[in-house]
Amino acid sequence: MKEKETIKIQSSYLEGERVQNFKTLSGMDYKEVYTPEDITGPRELPGDYPFTRGIHKRMYRDRLWTRRQQSGYRSGKESNERIKYLLSVGQTGINMDPDLPTHLALDPDNPLARGDVGLQGSSLVILEDIADLYNDIPLDQVSNTMIVEAPTSAVIIAQYLLVAKKRGTPWEKLIGTIMNCPLTQFVGPTYQAITTFFSIEYAVKIALDVMEYMIQRAPKWNIVNINAYNIRETGVNAIQEAAFALAIAQDYVRRLIERGLEVDVFAPRIGFFCAVHMDFFEEIAKLRAMRRIWARIMKEKFRAKNEKSMWFRTAVQTSALPLTAQEPLNNIVRAGIQTLAAVLGGVQSIHTTSFDEAYSLPTEESHKLSIRTQQIIAYETGVVKSVDPLGGSYLLERLTDELEEQIWELLKVIEGKGGFLQCFMDRWVEDQISKMRYQLGENFISRQQPIVGVNLFRDERDSTKINIFRHSSEWQRQRIQEIINYKKNRFQEPARRALEALESEIRKRPKENSIEAIMKAVEDGATLGEIMDAIRRAIDFKRPGLP
Amino acid sequence: MEKYEKYGKKRILLGKMGLDAHENGIVIVAKWLLDANFEVIYAGLYNSPESFVQTAIQEGVDAIGCSFLGGEHLYYTRRLIDLMNEKRIDNIKLILGGVIPPEDVDELKSLGVAHIFTPGTLRDTIIEALNKLFNEPE
Repeated sequence: MKEKETIKIQSSYLEGERVQNFKTLSGMDYKEVYTPEDITGPRELPGDYPFTRGIHKRMYRDRLWTRRQQSGYRSGKESNERIKYLLSVGQTGINMDPDLPTHLALDPDNPLARGDVGLQGSSLVILEDIADLYNDIPLDQVSNTMIVEAPTSAVIIAQYLLVAKKRGTPWEKLIGTIMNCPLTQFVGPTYQAITTFFSIEYAVKIALDVMEYMIQRAPKWNIVNINAYNIRETGVNAIQEAAFALAIAQDYVRRLIERGLEVDVFAPRIGFFCAVHMDFFEEIAKLRAMRRIWARIMKEKFRAKNEKSMWFRTAVQTSALPLTAQEPLNNIVRAGIQTLAAVLGGVQSIHTTSFDEAYSLPTEESHKLSIRTQQIIAYETGVVKSVDPLGGSYLLERLTDELEEQIWELLKVIEGKGGFLQCFMDRWVEDQISKMRYQLGENFISRQQPIVGVNLFRDERDSTKINIFRHSSEWQRQRIQEIINYKKNRFQEPARRALEALESEIRKRPKENSIEAIMKAVEDGATLGEIMDAIRRAIDFKRPGLP
Repeated sequence: MEKYEKYGKKRILLGKMGLDAHENGIVIVAKWLLDANFEVIYAGLYNSPESFVQTAIQEGVDAIGCSFLGGEHLYYTRRLIDLMNEKRIDNIKLILGGVIPPEDVDELKSLGVAHIFTPGTLRDTIIEALNKLFNEPE
């Protein structure tokens, strides 16, 4: 540290050490003090509509949130070992993440995919990969989230259903979630990222196919999960995160109703996945406000009768944006505080982001620490023993009301422009995100968003060393070869015929539900990339910018 | 300094290679470079080493800047450097950013990467480093 800065910090005692501003991260004012006058209107109990204080009457007294750390690397086999390890130290749900080629439905041997195979998640291409991934795991006893968006979700869910069938697990007993949302699941709603390898409109159609298919056959399965986390991580604020996610969910609800489905049949199986950033009270208030708004939308706008249709059920991940490469151990403290905010916000499952996030995938050690963080909060602190312990706080109730108002305002703007999908295609969303990204940069320089050890109290002498997860380029080459060999050695005729049938089926009847035809292709040995290529041909999709 | 002024703004091609689409960092850096009087050509996502080099030549850039997140940095950077060597490009500097583990930073620098800006690098550090890079006598 420079001498001048050292002196300045030491002398802060005399001047009165102060924080940068008295605003929330999204720019709302924190009052000097909150009093009973800040609370207006009726206040309901937990489990009562509109569920501000939680969707269940007894919340964590009956059941703790699910510990659901994301995992996935290399192939199904390696990822299965990590899943078993996580379950052995107290993880209570699975959260499997595929690699980028899988997300984008490109086979490992595709020249565009080769450098990314097995890095950010598991390489899942054929039926056998899903069988490997869930080997020895009872699919009707551990709830399993699959982090995969449409159109890939259609192939993965087909593979999953086939694996369940082969093992004799009835589909109606499957418990878990397919994220499925093509607008948010990849990296949030950024235009180029999610329109380069597939048509966004047709991806939404396939997402709806998955929802429709699953709701009729696997009633305990969650058919879509709006990834508000990825929206937030593009740099937008809590208000935008909430409004964008709630707007997207409404787009799906409208389209499912248009397909002739009863709102109370499918709405209880819609979930959300939010971020929990660093502004402690704002994040808790955001979760409370989102519960309230969703309940009102479902009851008043979509005329739901079943209370479960009105429940805003959410998983969360502690935000990785404020985590730092500098002094990485500080991230343990950040994630701990964020996890506490999630618990006080009354969420259904938590992924506590690992402290080595700014370096690589988590090691076993850092993965375990995330689970321990949650267990310490659950079992040692006592915060789970009363429901919504912060309910009635003058500050929190006021902030919940203010956030609710702001989120409704923004929702109105989006609805006025024709809904989220329309706003996305018109690049309005892109503009909002770009502005906020530049703001993120500005706030970093101006320290309006202080990050200790980085733009505040930076210590260039720091040389903390941590263990870092290592990838293997040798493994990557082997995996690519494995898929090349698979394609060479399988029974060619059935795969070829199923792919042709899929292509012609979609060409002839592009609006029909495509899941059965996709499942047939999976069963007959086609790969993820081949299936999606057949659909790309059927809908005449061309990669933008290519001849 | 004289040379820098004589040739006007330095042109930098920025973008991502491979399939990773996390672009907060590189978009913010692009803005910082523009504000600091560099000319930025933003190639966006999903570039291949081949398309990157081709664009770099066409646009006559002084540097290529690429950001990574998911562990794909060695694969793509090695290919990019091989291509640049093949085409005997020696007047374009290579700069990287993003989530890159320390031991790979050393390896990438030994391959000829001029600078690697990992998460948390301050704006002024980047601008100073680039100004210095372009003003080094050849």
